[in-house]
Amino acid sequence: MSARRDPAPVAIVGGGLAGLTAAHALRHHGIPFRLFEASDRLAGLARSFRDADGFSHDFGAHFVTNRLAAALGMGAECRTVHHYGEVVRLDGEDIGYPLGLLGVPRFDVSAAWTRLRDAVASSPAPGDAAAWFRHNYGEALADEVALPLLEAWSGQPADRLAPAVGEKLPGGLLETLWLKLAGRLTDRAVAIGYCGALPQSASVWHVYPEHGVGSICARLAEGLDDAVSLGTRVQRIHVEGDRAVSVRVNDQDLPVSAVISTAPIHILPRLVEGTDALERFARFRFRPMILANLNLEGRHLLSDTVVWLPEKDFASYRVTEAPISMPWLAPEGKTTLTVDIGCEVGDDWWKASDDDIARHCLEDIAPLVPDAAARHLGHRVLRTPIGYPVFMRAYEADRLRLALDGTGVDNLLSVGRNGAFDHLLMEDVYCRTLAQVQPLIDDLLPAVRAA
Amino acid sequence: MNATHAQTPTGSMRSAEGLPIEEVDCPLCGRDDAEPIAVGEDFEYRTTRDTWRMVRCRRCRLVYLNPRPAPAALDDIYPDSYHAFDFEPERYGLIHAVRSRLETRRLRRWCRRLPKSARILDVGCGDGFHLRLLQRHGRPGWQLEGVDPSPRAVEAAHDAGLTVHAGTVEQAGLPRAQYDLALMIMTIEHMADPAATLEAVRQLLKPRGRLVVVTDNVDTIDFRVFGRRHWGGYHFPRHFHLFDADTLGALAEANGFRVRRMETAVSPVNAVYSVRNLLVDLGAPRRVVERFGLDALVGLGVFTAVDALQAAFDHGSVLTAILERPANGHVVRGRFGGAA
Repeated sequence: MSARRDPAPVAIVGGGLAGLTAAHALRHHGIPFRLFEASDRLAGLARSFRDADGFSHDFGAHFVTNRLAAALGMGAECRTVHHYGEVVRLDGEDIGYPLGLLGVPRFDVSAAWTRLRDAVASSPAPGDAAAWFRHNYGEALADEVALPLLEAWSGQPADRLAPAVGEKLPGGLLETLWLKLAGRLTDRAVAIGYCGALPQSASVWHVYPEHGVGSICARLAEGLDDAVSLGTRVQRIHVEGDRAVSVRVNDQDLPVSAVISTAPIHILPRLVEGTDALERFARFRFRPMILANLNLEGRHLLSDTVVWLPEKDFASYRVTEAPISMPWLAPEGKTTLTVDIGCEVGDDWWKASDDDIARHCLEDIAPLVPDAAARHLGHRVLRTPIGYPVFMRAYEADRLRLALDGTGVDNLLSVGRNGAFDHLLMEDVYCRTLAQVQPLIDDLLPAVRAA
Repeated sequence: MNATHAQTPTGSMRSAEGLPIEEVDCPLCGRDDAEPIAVGEDFEYRTTRDTWRMVRCRRCRLVYLNPRPAPAALDDIYPDSYHAFDFEPERYGLIHAVRSRLETRRLRRWCRRLPKSARILDVGCGDGFHLRLLQRHGRPGWQLEGVDPSPRAVEAAHDAGLTVHAGTVEQAGLPRAQYDLALMIMTIEHMADPAATLEAVRQLLKPRGRLVVVTDNVDTIDFRVFGRRHWGGYHFPRHFHLFDADTLGALAEANGFRVRRMETAVSPVNAVYSVRNLLVDLGAPRRVVERFGLDALVGLGVFTAVDALQAAFDHGSVLTAILERPANGHVVRGRFGGAA
């Protein structure tokens, strides 16, 4: 009797939400894999931690949807988020986003005039983000709100960004109105513009797992211990022809049937050997970010969960008081404000000490919370060189190619927020990763079943 | 072996409350590629705090619960007050009488050509409601039997003097090729592996013996209106699979049945429960919620009229498939694309 050999495992590079989603799907189908995580723990961007003073911090996302929780059988251990709201700070006044902005006459007049002008002149499709926002929002709203925020967030002039930045924004006005109304009626933070892969609905709202969003990853990782290697970096991915054939781990080559990478896409070309198909991705840029979590005395210091700051007077472009939506994230009577600062690796912000960053942030938000410094209890500063993918026009064609055709190596997938180079929140990471992995499963399943 | 995908739950997890759950592939086509269409809760019995996800297979369009309670959780999700165990004339009065009458009419139609000594099996018979109707209105020579995995249902049926086998139809050790008619009335949607059940039933039937499958229909207006969360037919988390004519026909054909007839019938139950679930979800007062239930005459009346309109266009809330085990050696030619 001749025993068929098991097919080589799939190598998964990275044990964050995307890597674990892929691993969970492969395990479900009995496809062998090895997951390599360079750090000493799983969860990556989805990690959560609670400090000694009782403040919880999530590195990446603050909440998930009840739909994702149900997919993972975690509904019973999630708390409903009852409210989530955003405002825009203009001339010292907080205006509700997006509906409050509609009540500002100069924005409405400008939007109507721009639409009319563009229709009469039959203008070509906007070629950059600045033109896209001016065309779709009107010049006043674009120039006063959207473009300053976009530039602070991306670190690039808006006319160097691709129009796709705008196309990522949530659906139509009527749908938004309906979902806002449904949220009010049901006392739930109905998810709006959160997940692009699945339809929005009044039945999909934000929830927060009792043990932090990181527990989503813990659930996915259940039963996978035998295939997970922590503290193990993938040194090389070897490609022959147009296929990945092995990975180099601990200075040894491991034959693989495929590779699923969650590495930031601009890093991936450095890992791959044997093809230059991925070189085009090396110039993709991520915007480095500093997230300063300021623990403060008091609660409801902001007028809503998120305050956008388009005016140049602010160093930050966004301040978030997550405990307005999720009171359990801070001890009673206390709160955390997260101040987002776009920066560059090595600039003054990046090099500043945590204490200096906290001090600057407290000064920066003084117009919002005048006594912030007096309320200050402590802080935790996070720096990430890969905060957000930046859609530059210069490489937009290559970005679309990645989204539509993949990496250019048949059995090398690049998944997750950093790997797919997309503005994905947790449910999207989960759905998109499953969708990307599905064809690979279809390819590998016959050999696995035969074995 | 049946020709459809044998369900093999490969992922097993435990929800926070300790309710074991399992992930499954599509029981009709075997693929694991489905879009979520609804998220809901056990609005009716509150047996678990968990939330559940109904998905639709992207390939064959079957609607199914995934993940779903594992077999070990069945005792938890079917409470003692479950209506299939507890549909008593004392409690349901006029509703019981009307339902009995309608069901009798349907049963008579399905039994019209049966011989004097026909052997009839009700699969998933619950407390024996349909067997009792057959006992009362059928021919005296008919041999009536039921099979149900619930000890409570079996006990209730025994108390009523009925012959009911304990266990699933696959396990009960029933004689092959002996039955003239089998009924699966509002049961297939509860079954963990409907393909295996159909295959088992087919083997129990005589050649040319018939199986009547009655189940909730997803091809209805109330499904479109309430299908994101509150639709009564979801019955979270007890309905594992939900069909339309195409998916039910395909499943039947894939398991060696010939589809003799596929039709829809009027039932207000899903619409009534859709409204009830919505009210429960919005935290409506109990007295308002109670206007919508199996014992709420007005609600049932109104939605019966609405569903009658749907049924006139073949979109009634209840789907009925009349299936036949082909004569020996006869190959089924599929109309629904599911022929074995």
